[in-house]
Amino acid sequence: MGLFDILTGKRKVKQPAESRLFAMSTAAVSLEMTLELKSSGKAAIVFQPLATADFSSIVADMEEVLRGTGEDTGTGVDRTDDDFGYRWMVLSDEEFEDLVVGINVVSQALQDGGYGERILCAVFAFRDAHDNPVYWIYNYKRGSYYPFVPAGGDQRRDSERELRLKAQIGHELPIEPELERWFPLWGIPI
Amino acid sequence: MARPTSFGRDTGLQLRMAFTLFLLGLVYVVLIVALLAAGTSGGLVALIAGGLAIFQLFGSDKLALRAMGAREVTPAEAPELHAMIDRLCVQADLPKPKVAVADTRMPNAFALGRSPKNATVCATTGIMELLSPAELEGVMAHELTHVANRDVLVMTLAAFFATIAAYIVQFGFLFGGGMSDDDDNPSAMVLFLVSIAVYVVSFFLMQALSRYREFAADRGAALITGRPSALASALTRISSGMDRIPQKDLRAQQELAAFYIFPPGAGKAIGSLFSTHPPMEKRIAALERLERQLQGVAA
Repeated sequence: MGLFDILTGKRKVKQPAESRLFAMSTAAVSLEMTLELKSSGKAAIVFQPLATADFSSIVADMEEVLRGTGEDTGTGVDRTDDDFGYRWMVLSDEEFEDLVVGINVVSQALQDGGYGERILCAVFAFRDAHDNPVYWIYNYKRGSYYPFVPAGGDQRRDSERELRLKAQIGHELPIEPELERWFPLWGIPI
Repeated sequence: MARPTSFGRDTGLQLRMAFTLFLLGLVYVVLIVALLAAGTSGGLVALIAGGLAIFQLFGSDKLALRAMGAREVTPAEAPELHAMIDRLCVQADLPKPKVAVADTRMPNAFALGRSPKNATVCATTGIMELLSPAELEGVMAHELTHVANRDVLVMTLAAFFATIAAYIVQFGFLFGGGMSDDDDNPSAMVLFLVSIAVYVVSFFLMQALSRYREFAADRGAALITGRPSALASALTRISSGMDRIPQKDLRAQQELAAFYIFPPGAGKAIGSLFSTHPPMEKRIAALERLERQLQGVAA
């Protein structure tokens, strides 16, 4: 943020960074081969639904497109609103590549409509060998991924495992360098 | 059909803020010239005030939190508040600040810290009970915008020369008065008079600047949450809740007042020139304008 922004007050919400979403398509192969992390067959994109007619119609159009292509690719579309007022578009598909493409369709539709800054993140759900969840969260504003591993119990995360994952896959995925931006997401519905 | 942003520009606010800063700078140049003319005693005062300002920037967070009876909370202690701030930080592209809670019935929230990396946001238990999640989100987004805009730093620096002037006015009798007994020192007298003028003028300018930064923070909160009306509703609810609660001991916390979501002791008798926060109706009107822009109705 520049000096002028500091003196006059910040005026914009950051728009999404250049998309590195698709880095996950290739990384997912390594995750499965070397780390025994399998896709749970689900991914989600989280955004703030604005209460405007314009926004609602963009979301409705986007959902229609998703369902249309979903019939060809076999991608299921589901939506839930969480306690914080954020909307989760949950996609389910056994083919991981289709999940990444589907997520991109949603984010692209929102950005084209001028609402790119409303996207919070995308979440890719994996399961380890013991069937415990491991999440990869994509921060659109930063254009980077970070791991999130809930550690059973109340609001606890397995930071050791997350850091290990960063070391193991860091050369294939753009990982968020600042650890204080590895924001947890509790109660992920996928 | 791509639209650049959901909200229009706020050129008017930008201009007013820039003009206020310009006037402040002008007033301070006058003071610096007077200080230089006064020689050593002026330099000494500037040095002391500078030290105090640095102390204020680096050391006042903990003191202020303790004065409010606030305590830093872990995610396990306040899961909803932490999760809410996590999401707002992602939206605002900010590092996570420390989160504190003050155990008081008075509904309020404030932000502290000189930079986003050293920031603390605090909510009272009163405000968390009073507001709905969406309203509280608007309030916390307002505080996070204060953090993003570095309002503590800006206001401390803006107050720096006003502080010097205040010291000269307070201790001027000791310095100037003592000296003028021996040899009639005209420069000390001039410095004293200039300081009074600087102090008075900069006081009003700083209050204006503070009000503009409140508008900027309201706007920022609306941009982050995309829900201007939620913040407007929070403001009405807080202000009606505030009146019922005695505020005597909080009037002492003048310095903190600039960073409250709503100033304690905001009586109607105080003229608007003297207040650090804009009147509620104006803030709500500004938020209403944002909501209209968002809805695509002509602003």
